[in-house]
Amino acid sequence: MKSVKLDVHKAISAVANTSQYPNLPDMTPQDITKLIVRTSMKDRAAFDLLYRQTSAKLFGVCLRVLNDRGDAEEALQEVFVKIWTKADRFAVSDLSPISWLVAIARNHAIDRIRARRKPAADIDAALDVADPAPGPEAMVVAGDESERIHHCLDELEKDRAAAVRGAYLKGESYAELAERHGVPLNTMRTWLRRSLMKLRECLER
Amino acid sequence: MTLAEDNGPERGGDDLFAAEYVLGVLPADERQIASRRIDSETDFARLVDGWEVHLSPMAAAYPEIEPPASVKPAIDRRLFASTAATSAEARAGLWSSLAFWRGLAAAAVAALAIYIAIPYVNPPVAQPQARLVASLAADGSDVKYLAVYDAAHHEVGLSHVSGERASGKDFELWMIEGKNPPVSMGVIPVGSTAHIVVSPAAQQKLAQGAVLAVSLEPAGGSPTGQPTGPVVAAGDLKSI
Repeated sequence: MKSVKLDVHKAISAVANTSQYPNLPDMTPQDITKLIVRTSMKDRAAFDLLYRQTSAKLFGVCLRVLNDRGDAEEALQEVFVKIWTKADRFAVSDLSPISWLVAIARNHAIDRIRARRKPAADIDAALDVADPAPGPEAMVVAGDESERIHHCLDELEKDRAAAVRGAYLKGESYAELAERHGVPLNTMRTWLRRSLMKLRECLER
Repeated sequence: MTLAEDNGPERGGDDLFAAEYVLGVLPADERQIASRRIDSETDFARLVDGWEVHLSPMAAAYPEIEPPASVKPAIDRRLFASTAATSAEARAGLWSSLAFWRGLAAAAVAALAIYIAIPYVNPPVAQPQARLVASLAADGSDVKYLAVYDAAHHEVGLSHVSGERASGKDFELWMIEGKNPPVSMGVIPVGSTAHIVVSPAAQQKLAQGAVLAVSLEPAGGSPTGQPTGPVVAAGDLKSI
């Protein structure tokens, strides 16, 4: 049985102000936290608002990984079903609320594409949007941690850093990365693991 | 480099495995193993969470893309349309919708009877989605309509179930298809039933199952061509 560390602050701040939700566009991470905790209490109004606030970001995640609108729509449905049923787990995570939601969407989309990988080369080319510069919303996600990971990625060789970024954003498998870089799978695995070890060392410095 | 030595019991192997899981590069079977360990091993779950925190700033590069309007109703159907709902609140919602759907069931039975009878009277008509039904409602609003789209007569029939418009206000009907902005179908006449004629452009979109929504607007309808007041009821069209 897993021991659960309840984040009392998260819970209290969420319950303290329950009667009114602020108007839509300017939600802070605290507001999103409240919505997640209210959702864990099966508050449907909070769930609806959480959807309105975050579905565009999470759809962006699903679409980027899955490269197929129909698939991404289906995945987004499943992601929000997960959010409704597992919202209580947010309390035991150290992630910011938006990052926690993104992690659910990313992992779900990656599981989905691993289970059924379509040949999507053409769609890939058509849908491959250039990585936009992080917008103001990125700052909400990021904070100090952001500078650290980017600094640590910069310490890697350029192509290895690119492989880490690409793997993260598109959810590419070792097999796909190996094929794209024209190296054996085990070589790719060794590469990325060394990169991850270097990242860890840098992050803990 | 073999899996056995890398994923050994020492912290380094587990931590790397957690990192690979978060990065997303593992094959399906190894992701399943990782996922099971997250559920059963607190220490491993913490390693995964730590890597999620480390790598999450990269997620800023994901663009925001509005999903189609049909996704949220589909989620609600998955979560709240079954008897598996457990919370008191969800149950209350379910009961009210049960009462509502019971009324609809009667209509469905009548429609089914017609469908069964038609082949005996006439040859089958090649219009599989000739009749679409939507129940229009929204959380926090008592406004409810039952909408039936009759493709053969190019009209939407509305049955007013509950909820009154404020004085000096009108209800306006909108069609929302995919990511496109809502298209006005006109102000809903006062009364227990109303019929709204559907333009040829809107007919095909409705036949494909668009979302219908009702907003509260100034008397005479939205002055801008887009909804200006709150959406008081919405639902998607389904064939019966």
